[in-house]
Amino acid sequence: MNPDRTAIFDRVAAILKAHAKEDIPITADLRIAADLAIDSVEMFDLVMEIEDLYDISFPIEEASAIDTVGSLVDAISRLSNA
Amino acid sequence: MLDNKKKMGDFFTRFDKLSERVEGMYALGRRPFGMTFDQMLSPTRARVGNTEVILAGTNNYLGLTFSDECREAAKAAIDAHGTATTGSRLANGTYAEHVALEDDLRHFFGTAAAIVFTTGYQANLAAISALVGRGDHLFIDADSHACIYDASRLCDAETIRFRHNSPEDLARRLARLPEDGARLVVIEGLYSMLGDVAPVAEFVEVAHAHGAMILVDEAHSIGCYGDHGRGLCQAEGVTDEVDFITGTFSKSFASIGGFCVSRHAGLEMTRLVSRPYLFTASGSPANVATARAALAVMAADDSRRTALWDRARQLHAGLTAAGYVPASPPGPIIAVERPDELTAVREWNALLNAGIYVNIAVPPATPQAKSLLRLSVSAAHGVDEINRIIAAFKGLSRAAA
Ligand SMILES: Cc1ncc(COP(=O)(O)O)c(C=O)c1O
Repeated sequence: MNPDRTAIFDRVAAILKAHAKEDIPITADLRIAADLAIDSVEMFDLVMEIEDLYDISFPIEEASAIDTVGSLVDAISRLSNA
Repeated sequence: MLDNKKKMGDFFTRFDKLSERVEGMYALGRRPFGMTFDQMLSPTRARVGNTEVILAGTNNYLGLTFSDECREAAKAAIDAHGTATTGSRLANGTYAEHVALEDDLRHFFGTAAAIVFTTGYQANLAAISALVGRGDHLFIDADSHACIYDASRLCDAETIRFRHNSPEDLARRLARLPEDGARLVVIEGLYSMLGDVAPVAEFVEVAHAHGAMILVDEAHSIGCYGDHGRGLCQAEGVTDEVDFITGTFSKSFASIGGFCVSRHAGLEMTRLVSRPYLFTASGSPANVATARAALAVMAADDSRRTALWDRARQLHAGLTAAGYVPASPPGPIIAVERPDELTAVREWNALLNAGIYVNIAVPPATPQAKSLLRLSVSAAHGVDEINRIIAAFKGLSRAAA
């Protein structure tokens, strides 16, 4: 992980912890919906929260491809460097 | 031979979870999805099996489905032009009546262009997918109807969702993006699930301030809002500014079909490129004639709309007094949230047994995954019918107490 990605990962992990129903350590290959028991309504709120934080918008084509914590971090990093 | 056969994929195991979910609902009584009406008796009454029910879950806002005007127009059109067009608008499917309906719509809304489609679903698919393409951006309200989401899949533009009914959130998202490419904002007028309305004028201002055009889907609001039912854009005084209005003939117009009107004459060109316009047969003569007749009724007489609002206020007040909390202020759609899906199904059955049909709405079709009993009011409802609906809801809370 480059320093940028590490910073993003740490912030995302904090947000996910607040939403998660399962108290498990957040890792890059954790699946957000399945492993953290975050439903689609919560996922929507969570994505909106992250969008505001980084001042980005995920196109829905991209948002629906986000599945693991790592893919979320990748998407944020790509969009905020664009 | 048999050995050479490839193993076939199983398409149906993917429905196992869904199947289990609906079986749980079906075990509680009648099947709430795709229930059969054995006979329609009037805009507000039907026979289901051996019982007559009051219909409180249609989109028959003006109650025109049994009107003399619409029925006679439909019958006359069949006798004059046959039962179907058997072709696309671009080929053999444009009859004088389709063009006359487009003229009527232009006149009614005071717009430069109007296109008639075979359904309202296709109207949104067609207009949106023809307007934006690769390199453009489409901004849609998070609570948009499925056909708006589907339009985003059909076009090559990137789609960005904004928070429901929040012009501020839209403004932030418009400001975030570089200004290259065209931008189209899509909202609805009256939202079909919770019956809430969009702050249309604010959205128009935000869209135009950021160089975007705006399309308003008035599927549910035309007929109900604005002078003679011209819709929410007209009610808010922004018809001249809104870029596109789409609508359906399947609700207030007592027919089947859809349309898009625009202050931009350029909309006309989309007829040549819009796939949901080109590659499907046009509306039948009876459907088109019915829509014209309904539009003529709306333009000539505003009294059905007044009756609709009187009944809507009566139902809203009665349900509120009975302890229910409607999701929105009084209007043609009144939804009450239930604690969970199975409670909603149980209550839906109890209402039906009491002679009242309402809609049931559950995720993923509802905002915030709510479970709803959804009622819609018709101008054709009598005061006593609304009272019977309210009484049935009171019966529910008594049964639960
Ligand atoms: C908001 C909205 N848009 C479009 C449609 C589609 O209309 P139609 O029934 O004509 O396909 C509907 C109705 O289902 C709707 O609720």
